[in-house]
Amino acid sequence: MINRVLVRTYIGQAALLWSACALALFAFAWVRVWVSSLVDMGQFRTILEQFRDFERFAPIGFDALFTHTGRVGMTFDEPIVILCTVVWCIARGSDVVSGELGRGTLEMLLAQPISRTRLLLSHAFVAVSGLAFLTLSLWAGIAVGIARTTITETVPPPSFRLPFTAFEIPLTTGGPTQESFPMSSVVDPWVFGTGVFALFAFGFFILGLSTFFSSLDRYRWRTVGAVMTVYVLQLVIFGLGKAAERLNWLRGWSFFNCYRPQKQIAEITSGGMSAPWRLTGPDAESWFGPGVYPLMLIVGGILFYALAIAIFRRRDLPAPL
Amino acid sequence: MLVDPSLSSINRSSGAGDPHRGGPSSVNVARNFAGANADCSALPAVRTVGLGKRYGDFEALADLDLTIPRGEVFGLLGPNGAGKTTLIRTLLGFIHRTSGHAEVMGIDPAIDSVAVRRQVSYLPGDARLPRHMRGHSVLKFFADIQPEGDLDHSLAIAERLELDLRRMVSFMSTGMRQKLAIAAVIGSRAPLLILDEPTANLDPTVRSRVLEMVMAAKNDGRTVIFSSHVLSEIEEVCDSVVLLRRGRLAHRQSLSDLKARHRIVARGSLGDANRATGSMIVPDSIAAFVPSVQCDEATGRVTIETSGDLAPVLPWLASLGLSEIRVEAFGLRAVYDAVHFDEVPAL
Repeated sequence: MINRVLVRTYIGQAALLWSACALALFAFAWVRVWVSSLVDMGQFRTILEQFRDFERFAPIGFDALFTHTGRVGMTFDEPIVILCTVVWCIARGSDVVSGELGRGTLEMLLAQPISRTRLLLSHAFVAVSGLAFLTLSLWAGIAVGIARTTITETVPPPSFRLPFTAFEIPLTTGGPTQESFPMSSVVDPWVFGTGVFALFAFGFFILGLSTFFSSLDRYRWRTVGAVMTVYVLQLVIFGLGKAAERLNWLRGWSFFNCYRPQKQIAEITSGGMSAPWRLTGPDAESWFGPGVYPLMLIVGGILFYALAIAIFRRRDLPAPL
Repeated sequence: MLVDPSLSSINRSSGAGDPHRGGPSSVNVARNFAGANADCSALPAVRTVGLGKRYGDFEALADLDLTIPRGEVFGLLGPNGAGKTTLIRTLLGFIHRTSGHAEVMGIDPAIDSVAVRRQVSYLPGDARLPRHMRGHSVLKFFADIQPEGDLDHSLAIAERLELDLRRMVSFMSTGMRQKLAIAAVIGSRAPLLILDEPTANLDPTVRSRVLEMVMAAKNDGRTVIFSSHVLSEIEEVCDSVVLLRRGRLAHRQSLSDLKARHRIVARGSLGDANRATGSMIVPDSIAAFVPSVQCDEATGRVTIETSGDLAPVLPWLASLGLSEIRVEAFGLRAVYDAVHFDEVPAL
């Protein structure tokens, strides 16, 4: 299915980009967890409450964010995380055919006894493994961040609220006290496994899409342009679907609708560790369980890969320019 | 042009036997094509029948019947766009034929191009190598990936070509990259070498070394398909050559026959005996050695073409009373020009 010599070469080709993205994701996740501990939960709630009118644009309801787990889970929707993942996927996916054709190296490569399918699968093996390890490096960053971070929270003095009034009567004469505790005591890093899988599925879909366009084309810049066009269009469709109630149906036409890491993490809080992997909805109204959405992205990615193989096998390879 | 009679029964109508159009009949035809001779080692290195490649209205290759025997250095010649590279790329399965059939080392590239490429080591006209690798890694990569690859042989060739293998490909000059590609390709022990303009971008010393390597490959019993625009190189190394023109096989020439041909240019006249016929009368005893005699009465220029040994012709030549006699080898240039300018060469 794959060729080990090719795999070794592709690893060499992609090592620098992978290292940069992995380092960025690991460091960002760690710093992100630490930064989230700097903002007091009370202050965070106050800030967020001011934006209640715009809650529908958020990937998840605000109430789910008033926990440390929820705040760390926001990492999966951070632009830097999405950017690193997308850069890896488009860079590697677009390289396989149109990149090699553009550089003229495909001629020498395919002069060797390797089938086109094997070449594409060897490339896919490196790209998908790289994506998996990238998402794992994000998870590692989160885990290290959780293990190394101490949360300091302001605890108000005990008080008594008068019934039917807004008055609070302090029960002690002392002021608010500060309490410190390790983040690992309130946040379990295993909870984010579902978010990591969602990010992987999202990346896999883009990887498949890029590979599909690459198999059609002979110029890498055009492949990247085509993938970015689809990406932006899908993002706009998703944004429109969220912006207006009557355009809600548009969300179903965007693959971004299937990327729901924060919702899946929130499912764990309410339904336990197995809740985000459920394939059926809890009631008759919601057919799909949260586990269906990443699977849709995975299936989409596989379909794009299958199309890419079919096209690449049949097409005439243009001579190097 | 050599056409194997065993192939004449193949349906040559366009598409009927095209394995790429699918269907059982196409596979059967392909099997019959190879099955004529079960012993693959006895088959020619390359055999095509009615091979064609069409891009819309443009015919890149048309009705090409070609046989390349094993153990030969076989030249491919033709102007730019004649179809040389298209032929090579079709044989390797890079592009899919639109008509006819082809076999490389007894295998149809449309059915199993991987098996074909297992037997072939190919140097493209513009060989591009992975720029992120060092020279040594490139040679190791190709030696590892090709079953007939031989790293030691490639390294020996690289050393002979005075190549610095520690350098990254991206920092190599065009000539160095070409040398590296040559070391990777000729270093392989594959029985068929296909070299598309191997000496492009090389200095004269390296050119001659490459030609020596081609001859060495031939002496090892390997077949070499040598595509070039440099006529002198083809004359130097090839056993036979085909000239392609507008996608069609225009002419096939054995180089040993060509080397026995001469053109004698001299000053003189027809003489009274010949003037009546408008041409020189060649005695029957040497007629086979003199296929063509041309005389321009106005300029007094006589051109005699000979074929084979010159010795029997010389006494007759001496009797003609010609002056300023110049004997030239009848080079490939003359054949090429004749084909290129749409003349039928007198061969």
